[in-house]
Amino acid sequence: MSDNHSSSPDQENLNSTYWRSLDELSEKVSPSANASAEVKKVADAEFTQGSLERRDFLKLMGASVALATTSCIRRPVQKIIPYNKQPEEITFAVPNFYTSTYLDGIEPLGLLVKTREGRPLKVDGNPEHPMNQGGLSAKAQAHILSLYDPERMKGPVKNLLNKTRSNFDTVSTSWEDADKAITAQLKKGNVAILTGPVLSPTTQMLINDFCQGFKAKHYAWSPLSIAHLVEAQKVSYGTATLPQYHIEKAQVIVSVDADFLGTYLKPTTFAKQFAVGRRNYKKMNRLISFDSQYSLTGANSDLRYKIKPSEGASVILGLAYEIVVRGAKSSYAANAQVKSYLGNYANVAQEIGVSPELFSRVAQDLWNAKGESLVLVGDTQSDVSFEAQVAANFLNSVLENEGKTIVAGVHSGTASSYGSPSEILQLLADLNAGKISTLVVHGVNPLYTLPESLNAKDAFKKVELLISTADRQDETATLAHYILPDNHVLESWNDLDFGNGVVSLQQPTIRPLYETRSIHLSLMTWAYLGDRGPKRLTTFETYYDYLRNAWKEELYPKLGKGQGFDDFWDEALQKGFVGTPKESSGRSLKLDSLKAGSPAKAVKGLQLHLYPTVQMGDGSLSNVAWLQELPDPVTKIVWDNYASISLKLSETLKVKEGQMVQLKVGSATLEVPVHIQPGLHSEVVALGLGYGRTHAGKVGNGIGFNSYKLAQASKSDKNQFLQLSGISVEVIPTSNFYELASTQSHHVLDSKNDGKRKIVVEATLKEFEENPAANNHKHKIFSIWEGHEYKGHKWAMTVDLNTCTGCSACVIACQSENNIPVVGKKYVLQGREMHWIRVDRYFIGDAETAEAVFQPLMCQQCDNAPCETVCPVLATVHNSEGLNDMVYNRCVGTRYCSNNCPYKVRRFNWFNLTGNIEKPLNLALNPEVTVRSRGVMEKCTFCVHKIKAGKNKAKLEKRDLVDGEIKTSCQSSCPTGAIVFGDLNNPESAVSKIYKEDPRNYALLEEFHAAPTVRYLTKIRNNHEEHRPQSEITHHKKGGHA
Amino acid sequence: MSSSIFDSDSNSRFRSKSQAQFQSHSQVSNVFRNNSGSVVVKAVLGVVALALGGLILFSFSKGCNHQPGIGYNQGYQPEQPIPFDHSLHAGQNQIQCKYCHNQVERSTHSNIPALSTCMNCHLVVKTDSPLIQKMREAYDKGDSIPWVKVHMLPDHVKFNHSAHLEKIEKHTGEIACKTCHGPIETMKVVYQHSTLSMGWCVNCHREPQYSAPLNCSTCHH
Repeated sequence: MSDNHSSSPDQENLNSTYWRSLDELSEKVSPSANASAEVKKVADAEFTQGSLERRDFLKLMGASVALATTSCIRRPVQKIIPYNKQPEEITFAVPNFYTSTYLDGIEPLGLLVKTREGRPLKVDGNPEHPMNQGGLSAKAQAHILSLYDPERMKGPVKNLLNKTRSNFDTVSTSWEDADKAITAQLKKGNVAILTGPVLSPTTQMLINDFCQGFKAKHYAWSPLSIAHLVEAQKVSYGTATLPQYHIEKAQVIVSVDADFLGTYLKPTTFAKQFAVGRRNYKKMNRLISFDSQYSLTGANSDLRYKIKPSEGASVILGLAYEIVVRGAKSSYAANAQVKSYLGNYANVAQEIGVSPELFSRVAQDLWNAKGESLVLVGDTQSDVSFEAQVAANFLNSVLENEGKTIVAGVHSGTASSYGSPSEILQLLADLNAGKISTLVVHGVNPLYTLPESLNAKDAFKKVELLISTADRQDETATLAHYILPDNHVLESWNDLDFGNGVVSLQQPTIRPLYETRSIHLSLMTWAYLGDRGPKRLTTFETYYDYLRNAWKEELYPKLGKGQGFDDFWDEALQKGFVGTPKESSGRSLKLDSLKAGSPAKAVKGLQLHLYPTVQMGDGSLSNVAWLQELPDPVTKIVWDNYASISLKLSETLKVKEGQMVQLKVGSATLEVPVHIQPGLHSEVVALGLGYGRTHAGKVGNGIGFNSYKLAQASKSDKNQFLQLSGISVEVIPTSNFYELASTQSHHVLDSKNDGKRKIVVEATLKEFEENPAANNHKHKIFSIWEGHEYKGHKWAMTVDLNTCTGCSACVIACQSENNIPVVGKKYVLQGREMHWIRVDRYFIGDAETAEAVFQPLMCQQCDNAPCETVCPVLATVHNSEGLNDMVYNRCVGTRYCSNNCPYKVRRFNWFNLTGNIEKPLNLALNPEVTVRSRGVMEKCTFCVHKIKAGKNKAKLEKRDLVDGEIKTSCQSSCPTGAIVFGDLNNPESAVSKIYKEDPRNYALLEEFHAAPTVRYLTKIRNNHEEHRPQSEITHHKKGGHA
Repeated sequence: MSSSIFDSDSNSRFRSKSQAQFQSHSQVSNVFRNNSGSVVVKAVLGVVALALGGLILFSFSKGCNHQPGIGYNQGYQPEQPIPFDHSLHAGQNQIQCKYCHNQVERSTHSNIPALSTCMNCHLVVKTDSPLIQKMREAYDKGDSIPWVKVHMLPDHVKFNHSAHLEKIEKHTGEIACKTCHGPIETMKVVYQHSTLSMGWCVNCHREPQYSAPLNCSTCHH
């Protein structure tokens, strides 16, 4: 028990330091009031209407339950159907792991796919892979659910299109008939293929072969293009490339609208690299961001400045001015041309509303870390993003970073395979000119992602034969004559180039569930039937053979180490990759490129910033319910997108949270709800992409609003692109309101003290250097009880708040591992989301500057667990290894445990949610974890089934457990390694070392003396402050601190 | 389960709505909401509840013909699609359990052998028997035999065969399988020998010589 909780009289006068929502900040609503309002709302809705009282109903229910269990019905007869021929590699109930690869946006990720009895159950990152090294993004983990999507196309279909192509009726067809008709049409010529980014060298080779055979044209495009980045590399250095970044080597990182920890380029790999510098406490990196939205990168920065999207380029040139002209440093300091050019950016700080001292301090920081700094600019598709990229190349060259923290990419293909908006615009022009009579669309959905002003629909209707390879009748496929569904990525062979000399194989982990066929085999079949193209295209019977041959001809001579090709191939399959990350040498900047980087005059008034969200990306996975219910890392809103605006702007516009506003861009309009977001520039309206699908399926249809509609085709002929950011917008408030489901006020810790207790602990680097335990507030605790004795193992976990980026990969990992159901927006509004691990986000500061802290929260597996003492049926009990066991079959659903849990980590099954899921989604359920039924409490188990499996494996192999052998699911998915799990009774384990040796560790709400076995580690801010603002803790001012 | 109550209800308004609602998640809340307190409904429901209570008493007193007591399946001896005789294979011919159930040492489950395992011998042994010919036919066609599961545990119980074998063998000195599955080598048709109840499991786990864990999560997670 801790002593002295009595509140002192002056408690009323203090403001809380950390807050979750603006309401809390303005003290209109205390978190406790918020929580009780929720409970009341639900109670009102469910228990007071009607007059058949709940108790009566339960009595009757009880009677029928009793009947069902005692009547003379034998249990249903179950069958065991063994194999006809026992497959060698399958042992029943023992998982097999296969390496593979997944392309998340444009980030290739090495996978380890867990399969049981031939069905993929869970995807993890491949720990051996040189790039993501075990971490995996939320989207990549959730894509397994799209394999079992009940709405996938079951085979090839033909659209029964009427003349106006307005009907959606389809009739199934056979592959033979479709192939025959398509080949006949292909032979007539004027063929085109539209694809997303092609990062697979062999796919590129196959497309090239096909294009050669049919004289077809290949267009590659992605709505979230990085063409500006690639193009700017060409202008600055002479070669178009996607550069490699070495964030782990950077001391000072300046990000200008580059959400490299969330959505930009390779967020999982970058997060891994970022954490390396974050852990180096002797020389910790500093992240400074200039942010148009409140991005995940902004939330993780040590210093964050809000800007408008149009200011991106001038920020960088302003920093260059500070260094080169004002500071007279760098090799360009004597260059009059450069100096006169930069002279235009002398007053950037004032223009963007940052104090000149702070701005020049950023420049100073950069220069002090020259050669060890990095300037990253996001390709936000604003009308200055190309210029900003060119300027960033210049600034990196000023800072001598080239060849150190940034080097050229090593591509086996061409950089143009990343796709460019000029290609889709060219395609539309070609379509309108009638130059294309057959079009194959693969991996993109232009009718969803193109703005209406381009009239893409009319253009696509001009094609004589439109073929879509979508796995459903998506927006584009509604116009297609044939929908020839491609295999799911977990069902097909392919390869992926990581852009640094590493190439990985994608191998199927299940036979195609339906009559689908990979796009590769389709192209090969048509070439064979039409007898066109090079020999290798028409000889091979499967894409596997083609791929193997391509590897034999292209990669094996380069990367083979003297072994035979079969060994080379097997090794690639087993390890998951071939090649090693290559360093290319630094390049020299073409100075005259700087002129290409003169940004246009900024638009006046409000600017619209359309951004991909962490959970939804470009919107292609919007039928995956796990992702829809994954709270946005920063706003914590689920199942929606919304216009984020600053508090100031909301006051100017006189709009409230949830009020619908009409966004008007030229002739395009869109009505969206408003979300008031702390820390935004008052002239920015930020709106997420990837929502508002109309043909995604039952889950994704009608969720949110299609913001792609507001994208603008840029007017300049020279630099054609689709503008997503910095668009001049008019905001017209309406009188309608909309409910946004946010999880930020659910499961509030410490509601009685209104956030005055220490939940998240932060210290500045200076404080930390003086005292590593800075701000870590300890209590004198005494106990009247000796506590449990743990003779064998004692499982414990630590979470490092300093390396947690809030990316939420752990939430999806847990959901996939532990059969956690999705409840839908309606029930999230009632606070009934089921996630066992949540990532709490706290703000600190005022509504203008708000800095964020993330804290993943799962069951703390307390030694003195408050839940255990209140359970009337012993359904939650302590076990001999320190775990807080939850016994579903004993639970009667009193929910006392949840009430008594100080951490609010217990979840109640209000309905039989998992029992009602549609087939074949049930195939994604993990058979090692019980599916919970209605009326049962559940919570994080520390992946007890994995603990058991690990212990048993060691036992069968007659050896001791090795530390790190058992990994919880959240731990293995974490890209930054912020979560450590292990045995506290093993003094050599990583977790017991952190317990003993890291002074940053603290127990959450230690003063309650629940004695949690999860420890958090203080977050360190590497800013210039001496001290981190601390709330005065008043609950025991009279003493009690250790 | 509860739908039976509502199906027998005579109030058509109530029935049609509730039936639709039983498809959705919001069933409970809607049942409360849509009963706007008709006395008739209440009365009918009350009668139904009483009738059910009567039925329960009846079933208790009478008992079931095939089922000993409530819940446990001890003695369950279903007929199998092919009358595989353990007393012949394991008893007379003394084939080891692990020859067919070969994954038992490395898996949580003891596998029922694939047809290919049967055919290891029966491609040459007793090929003239009509039952073996039936099996051979299925094997050639690529079919499987749909065996009827004898030992059934509830879904919330996780039992691991591989974790038990060595310890039991060490302490009992006999073939571990028999401790739970009984005298399999004498069974012409396999039946469930033990109750497989939780008390039965825990009895052994409590024996000090096994030093077996007694945590809830040992079996329930």
